[in-house]
Amino acid sequence: MLKRLVFAVATVFVATTLNFFLFRVLPGDAIRNLARVPHASPQLQAELRKQFGLDKSPWEQYLLYLRQLLHGNLGISFADQKPVIDNVMQALVNTLPMVLVGTVLAIVIGIATGVIAAWWRGSWKGSVGTSTAIFFYAVPTQWLALVLLIAFAGVLPSHGMSDPYLLDDSWTAHTLDVGRHMLLPSLTLALTLYGEYALITRSAMLETLGEDYVLTARAKGLRPRVIVRRHALRNAMLPVTTLIALSLGYLVAGAILIETVFSWPGIGFAAYQAVIQRDYPMLQGTFLVLTVSVIFFNLLADLLYAWLDPRISE
Amino acid sequence: MSTKALRNLIAAVALLLTVTACGGGTGASGDKGGVLRIGTSNGIDSLNPFVGINQDDFAVWLHIYPSLLQYDTTKPGMPYKGSLAESWKFAPDHKTLTFALRKGATWSDGAALDANSAAWSLGIMHKFKDGAAAKWGINENIDTITATDPQTLVITFTKPTATTLYALGNTPILPKQVWEKAASGDGKGLKTFVNEPKGDQPMVSGGPFMLTKFVKDDLAMFKPNPNWYGAKPRIDGWGLQTFKNKDALVTALKANEIDAVGGVPVTALSALKSAGITIDEGEGLAMRDLIINSNPDKPKHRELLKADVRKAMEMAIDRKAIVETAWLGKATEGSTIIAPATASDGQKWHNDAIKPLPFDTTQANALLDQAGYAKGPDGVRVADGHKMSYEVIFADDESGEGDRAFQIIQSGFKEVGIALSQKKVDSSAAWDAVYCDDNCQYRDFDLAMWDWFPSADPDFMLAAMTCASWGDWNDTGYCSKEFDALQAQQKDSIDPAARKKIIDQMQQMVYDARPYIILTYDTRLDAWSPKWDGFIPSSQGFFNNFSTQTLEQVHVK
Amino acid sequence: MSTPTSGGASWLARVLWRSTSGRMGVILLGIFVVLAVFSPILRPYGLDERVGGVYDPPSLAHPLGLDDGGIDMLSLLMEGGRMSLTVGFAAALVAMVIGGGIGIAAGYFGGWVDTVLMRITDYFLVIPSLPLAIVIAAVWGPSLSHLIVVIALLLWTSTARLIRAEVRSVRERVYVARARALGAGHGRIILRHVLPQIGPLLVANTVLSVASAIFDESALAFLGLGDPTAITWGKIIELAFLRTAVTAGAWWAVVPAGLCVAMVIVACFWIGQAVEDALNPRLAVAHLSPRTFAVRTITGRVSPSDKGAS
Repeated sequence: MLKRLVFAVATVFVATTLNFFLFRVLPGDAIRNLARVPHASPQLQAELRKQFGLDKSPWEQYLLYLRQLLHGNLGISFADQKPVIDNVMQALVNTLPMVLVGTVLAIVIGIATGVIAAWWRGSWKGSVGTSTAIFFYAVPTQWLALVLLIAFAGVLPSHGMSDPYLLDDSWTAHTLDVGRHMLLPSLTLALTLYGEYALITRSAMLETLGEDYVLTARAKGLRPRVIVRRHALRNAMLPVTTLIALSLGYLVAGAILIETVFSWPGIGFAAYQAVIQRDYPMLQGTFLVLTVSVIFFNLLADLLYAWLDPRISE
Repeated sequence: MSTKALRNLIAAVALLLTVTACGGGTGASGDKGGVLRIGTSNGIDSLNPFVGINQDDFAVWLHIYPSLLQYDTTKPGMPYKGSLAESWKFAPDHKTLTFALRKGATWSDGAALDANSAAWSLGIMHKFKDGAAAKWGINENIDTITATDPQTLVITFTKPTATTLYALGNTPILPKQVWEKAASGDGKGLKTFVNEPKGDQPMVSGGPFMLTKFVKDDLAMFKPNPNWYGAKPRIDGWGLQTFKNKDALVTALKANEIDAVGGVPVTALSALKSAGITIDEGEGLAMRDLIINSNPDKPKHRELLKADVRKAMEMAIDRKAIVETAWLGKATEGSTIIAPATASDGQKWHNDAIKPLPFDTTQANALLDQAGYAKGPDGVRVADGHKMSYEVIFADDESGEGDRAFQIIQSGFKEVGIALSQKKVDSSAAWDAVYCDDNCQYRDFDLAMWDWFPSADPDFMLAAMTCASWGDWNDTGYCSKEFDALQAQQKDSIDPAARKKIIDQMQQMVYDARPYIILTYDTRLDAWSPKWDGFIPSSQGFFNNFSTQTLEQVHVK
Repeated sequence: MSTPTSGGASWLARVLWRSTSGRMGVILLGIFVVLAVFSPILRPYGLDERVGGVYDPPSLAHPLGLDDGGIDMLSLLMEGGRMSLTVGFAAALVAMVIGGGIGIAAGYFGGWVDTVLMRITDYFLVIPSLPLAIVIAAVWGPSLSHLIVVIALLLWTSTARLIRAEVRSVRERVYVARARALGAGHGRIILRHVLPQIGPLLVANTVLSVASAIFDESALAFLGLGDPTAITWGKIIELAFLRTAVTAGAWWAVVPAGLCVAMVIVACFWIGQAVEDALNPRLAVAHLSPRTFAVRTITGRVSPSDKGAS
């Protein structure tokens, strides 16, 4: 357990270091963007370079960055001169609810579909379930988002996280407003995800359903629903759970496409903007957060699997 | 998980979704004045006047900060009208300019808004004209800026300059009580000062509105400034919302989530019209161009420096097709670098005598044949031992319509034996590709496609063509001593008619040299909900940095 | 996971034809490949031929309508298929070479080679893939060849881990030990003994990679990082997004391209499934053992669970 933790931390460190130097390779002088005057005078550029420490050697910058990191300081964004940690946290706080709702929805629909597809394997019910799962699994995320936009234009809000002109200031009104804005993005996420969960559940179920103890239960005359609930589903949950946990780590970054279509001010979108604007500190900050989330969920999946299946040991 | 629990969970999620879906929509207005919701695809990149460069930034500053003058966009030719200054007068030798300011004006926090405020603010911009305040150009040969008394501002010059009022007129005057500290010392603090509302407090304002809320790349909210010295706005407030995607912008307008949009994409026009949205069209200042590297020392592909080759290139461009296909008719064919809509102080600046070359591939082919560049077996001409095949640096701001335009140019060039390939990069990388850096200025590129959004006075665009502008706004590598001489002359011509003559000459010069082939001038397209009235258009649309008249007069019908 | 002692192309063909899903997958993919390869001849109209107004709706002459430049959508879709499939197959092949190579090296040589290679793989696994692709595409510039490499970089990790696991189990086989004892060199053993064993799995994985590659290409194109001159399905969706197809109500500019991508991915999925089925006869009732099931993320990256890779 400790070994896993140490390894996770080491990976974060290595990833951060590699990222730091990777971004320095980007073309397009950061200072020009920073000066916000594309054609700033040489003196101004030199001044700004000094101010943001870009006149030091990459190694010096790196050490400075590490030191700041240990103090929880992720630097100042070039684009809006605000602390990166604030921007990143805000973006993360925006992404998480949307992704969470979508994931919960995907898990629910996915497991349900998977169970149905496994039990009715061979009949049309199973095939329909599997086919739609595969279809949604295969469509490009941004395409699905656009299709939903076309379908629901005018009925549901198509942009942003909330209505800035909302007159009712109460907490309920605000939550409902955000909820309305969250519907389409979360739905898109859910539809793109559920197919994968459905397929995993189906295979896991099928594997379990072929086991001897299930056959015994059937021979004993137990009803299908009982068999599913008491035996098959519970055992199938092991691989399903760990695989879901594994996929969670990538969701946050993968939500870029959805956030772009719906202009959802989340972390994926922030990362994309940071690249376009050559905003090094924001880039480092967002990548750090995204990498940490992946490692965190991988670790979680590891632990979950170990806990759920005592047969497995390192 | 038991089936019962699963069922309950599904029910809960479904309930949550239904409840939120049925949540009520928002109305356009709550009170009698209404709140105008403006959508933009541009957005505010920074509220700090020493940092921001977006068009929307300038418009916002005019609405929250006072200025000596504004333009009157209700009259043709956009004459100046007094704002903080009631009148202004040049001395006969044109080396002194005196503004008479109105009495009793105050900032929103009650502090006096008078000549001392103006002197301080303009003084700071003048002091740091080579540093943080470079882009405000408060250096038109200005010598001193003094407030002789609270209602009189006197500016003296080292020599007469034509662009004085243009430079000073609608420049925002910043509140000393807020900016004093940042402006101290060497002024470094100016660029890092965060000019935003803190918590619930709106920013100190001197214009018609106060900024109450700002979320970068998202939203800016305004309410009327009770201490505004000008015409009281009829609305209760307004908001500017940024949409990163034009489709979302237009959909929001159609769905009544916003009330007005400045700059509508041409492909959305028919959909908007059928939804009953009012569309306003007019001449715009923006122009799209093809840049031909004019650095006389460029090492490669020097055939592109030849006048005849450039002429042939212009004749290979079907501007009509670009206007119709890329812009759906919402553009006019380009000619000179000063757009026809450019007018200030009652004077139009475009040289009407310059007509663009017509699309004529036969003539173009003839010219290139005469130059001795024969077509190879693959149809591509050979010049000085290499194929006439070039890469076009394509700034991604031009995406969409620009892609279509590029395709049209590419097929036209193919007919005359020149092959083009597109290299799409973002604006930061585009500048690097064009300029390279201080050691290899304008050496590496051949062609580029970009745009310009100039202002009401032609000086800015003309200055961008000078030798001194290399590494600055100059994106062509053009440098001509004669042109520079005319530029100095133009700046000194205080008589508009004389100035126009010189500027006409300069336009002809640039047109003949062809560092740019101006493709099209944008037709400005604004759209607003039929529920609202009072929008005053201008060459920059209804929301501009020329005047605050629209937002003062707009109201629910 | 057991691997059959037989392998090779004929086995593959038999497997695919025998299973329903395999057959359907091959036919569907085959249709797209044929259309793609012959698209320059089969295209009804030119790619920059203006045949009508902006966003004209579908009609008899133009069953899929026109795009924002008045160009026939069907022709664009065919060209899109050609480019998308090219990028997809090329990227998958590059990923197969890189991933396979690293997997074989790590699995066969073990020891520090294994450790180093797996740490590198872990870095790529853990880094947010789409942002990384954005950064690389921004550094390098968007061109078709760069795009292929960038996408391959997103794909190879899954192959590497899978192949490594397989190679490790193959390495323990008796005949390999015998070959070593007889003095056969590493290269020979890898070529003669290891490759044929892992071959079918590599192929199955590559087919699934094609699906992911096409998906990733559409994502990158959507974010403006595709080759500006190449018309791919992803580019068609991006252009529709940029040129307000949604507001114009031009669903034909958006829907068909996505459906094409989906169909190709589904076809690849069926093929991959059929091969996996055959490789795992014990699990004839199930399709994919959870241990080697490929977890596909939002971006379409395929990466197996850690659990199965040992």
